[in-house]
Amino acid sequence: MLARHTQHKALQWLGRQLFNRNDPEAFFDPLLERINPMWVQEYTPARVERVLSETRDTKTLVLKPARRWSGFRAGQHVNICVEVDGIRRNRTFSLSSSPLLWQEQGRVTLTIKRLPGGLVTNWLHDHLQTGAVIGLGEAFGDFQIPEPAQPVLFIAGGSGITPVLSQLETMAALDYRAPVTLLYFVRTRDDVIAREKLLALEARYSALTLNIIATNESKEPRYLRDQDLDAVPGIKARQVYLCGPKGLMDLAQNLLYERGFADADIHSTLFSVPSADLGNETLGGEVQFEDSQLEVDSEGNATLLEIAEAAGLTPRHGCRMGICHQCSCRKTTGTVINRLTGKASGPGDETIQLCISVPRGPVSLDL
Amino acid sequence: MKKMTEAQLAELETDLNAIRDEVLADLGERDARYIRRMVRLHRSLEAGGRIMMPFGFLPPVFVAGTATLGIAKILENMEIGHNVMHGQYDWMNDPTLHSQTYEWDTVCTGDSWRRTHNYEHHTYTNIIGKDRDYGYAVLRLTDDEPWKPWHALQFINYILLSVFFQWGVGLHELETEKLRSREISWREKLPFMKEFARKGGRQAFKDYVFFPLLTFPVAPIVLAGNVGANLIRNLWSSTVIFCGHFTQDAETFTEEECEGESKGHWYLRQLTGSSNFTGGRWLHILSGHLSYQVEHHVFPDLPAHRYPEISGRVQAVCRKHGIHYNTGSFAKQYGTVVKRVLRYSLPEKLIGMARAA
Repeated sequence: MLARHTQHKALQWLGRQLFNRNDPEAFFDPLLERINPMWVQEYTPARVERVLSETRDTKTLVLKPARRWSGFRAGQHVNICVEVDGIRRNRTFSLSSSPLLWQEQGRVTLTIKRLPGGLVTNWLHDHLQTGAVIGLGEAFGDFQIPEPAQPVLFIAGGSGITPVLSQLETMAALDYRAPVTLLYFVRTRDDVIAREKLLALEARYSALTLNIIATNESKEPRYLRDQDLDAVPGIKARQVYLCGPKGLMDLAQNLLYERGFADADIHSTLFSVPSADLGNETLGGEVQFEDSQLEVDSEGNATLLEIAEAAGLTPRHGCRMGICHQCSCRKTTGTVINRLTGKASGPGDETIQLCISVPRGPVSLDL
Repeated sequence: MKKMTEAQLAELETDLNAIRDEVLADLGERDARYIRRMVRLHRSLEAGGRIMMPFGFLPPVFVAGTATLGIAKILENMEIGHNVMHGQYDWMNDPTLHSQTYEWDTVCTGDSWRRTHNYEHHTYTNIIGKDRDYGYAVLRLTDDEPWKPWHALQFINYILLSVFFQWGVGLHELETEKLRSREISWREKLPFMKEFARKGGRQAFKDYVFFPLLTFPVAPIVLAGNVGANLIRNLWSSTVIFCGHFTQDAETFTEEECEGESKGHWYLRQLTGSSNFTGGRWLHILSGHLSYQVEHHVFPDLPAHRYPEISGRVQAVCRKHGIHYNTGSFAKQYGTVVKRVLRYSLPEKLIGMARAA
């Protein structure tokens, strides 16, 4: 093991000398990609084997990643990378299949809803074809079911069902011995994602109770209410998992707090860009891009990435929601507010993520 | 330099910005395809050259292998490395083509290049005393610079600089002229020297140690071929670069006339301080489109393969404002460079006397 490690190190060193890059294995990618895109080394390639239609605006991609991909645990997310009109776009999606499918067949699925105005989701829906190869990052995130088994309640909304699907499949396969309830909110009955799969799970996995609620079928919107929680047997002892639009997550959180739930028993996963309540704080300020010798003024809660792009710069970036760290950059001076947490940074030299950092007063960046 | 009022300069700025904005709005798949094609071509040439080299005991293969590797290096340095490091492809969000992380196949480190070339040369273009690329501190190319006796032999310096061009460019940031005048100390340059040694060592190791040793029985042939390939690249890139600013009509500027200048004035300086040469498609590609030096200096961060497309419009803007657009055949432009190197190796007085006689 040690010998192999040393050998690998030596090869890496040699590769850096010969090819002038830190990922020498990717030097011949441009040629390999032409021969077989699955041979690309820079990222993990994944072939689109099938594209399944779930609802009118949701599709499931069945992917076969290269074998070197490290796999995942149920409930985790991945970044995918696609090229749209010459521009690489990275986006984060939850894996909707069980890790067992990866272990047994080397396949994973992503279930993706078309977002109004969403550049990447619309492209995936309209242009991605079976046989295409996309880039896959390593899985991350810890939206994971408790071990050993404890009673669980999932509250999901819309395409927030995707990580839950992965978890339910896994729990059913493991025969997870504790009551599991899913409250699944959809706009209308037609918007249920993976209906067959859910019904099959309910039939096969006796611990699961499924409650699908349509919010927009009656005159008055039918949102989550306290009675829904009352109907969950032994709710007090449940670990609760939330995944869905912000409105649903906030509502659920408040109802759970009223019932005396502690934060430790409520698990939520990132679904759309959450924004902390930045309150009445005056944000914005003069931003100095030192390497580009550029100074611009900013107002309100525009992020540094948005400010930089508006100023004509093109910093490296990825998910634009604080996940992938592609846009990490040195801040030399100034304070920024993290848009996700609302927390202020220190005033000095540190690495920040441009896409979620909002300047509070003057800020200087190595950009 | 041509005198223009601030209002005229503002109009010039607007005219050029319009061209720039139009190209920016149109960037997309075509540009991505182009640069990827160039990268693929480079990889093929580099692999081909390296594979041919050990069979160089056959003279035609030696010539082909050396030329192939030389062209690979030219393509990587000029059309890919130089242009990528200008940020021409940053919008693609491809980490392997990003200006701030790209490292090229030459002695000069990407970081040093970004400082001395992207920043100093492109900001202070042709300002004597500020643009250290003007003569590279070894050549006197204008009467604005006082004549010293050693300038008499500067043609030899020019030949040496061309032959060892990658090392000259690599050491450019050392600022030897300032070290000599004790304006700066060696201690200040220590971090730079470390980086230079690391990258220079890497390049020398690759071409002059590793590949020859790998093919041990024919090591001298591979070594000779690699030296040849580097030489081809050195001579070609120095020639192209000299044609960009040191032709007869390329103007120089003083610090005073550029103090607190507007963007329009900067544009004017780029237009009048640069020079193009004409030629076929592959001549342009192998020069990294620096044959469109004027367009490059006006728009350093637009993908270079766009320069031929916008050249007509840049020329129209020049005509409109009565600015000389400096271009000519490669032979003609290079001829004026050689003349200029020779001409300024002699003091102004002497030339004047010769004229009078």
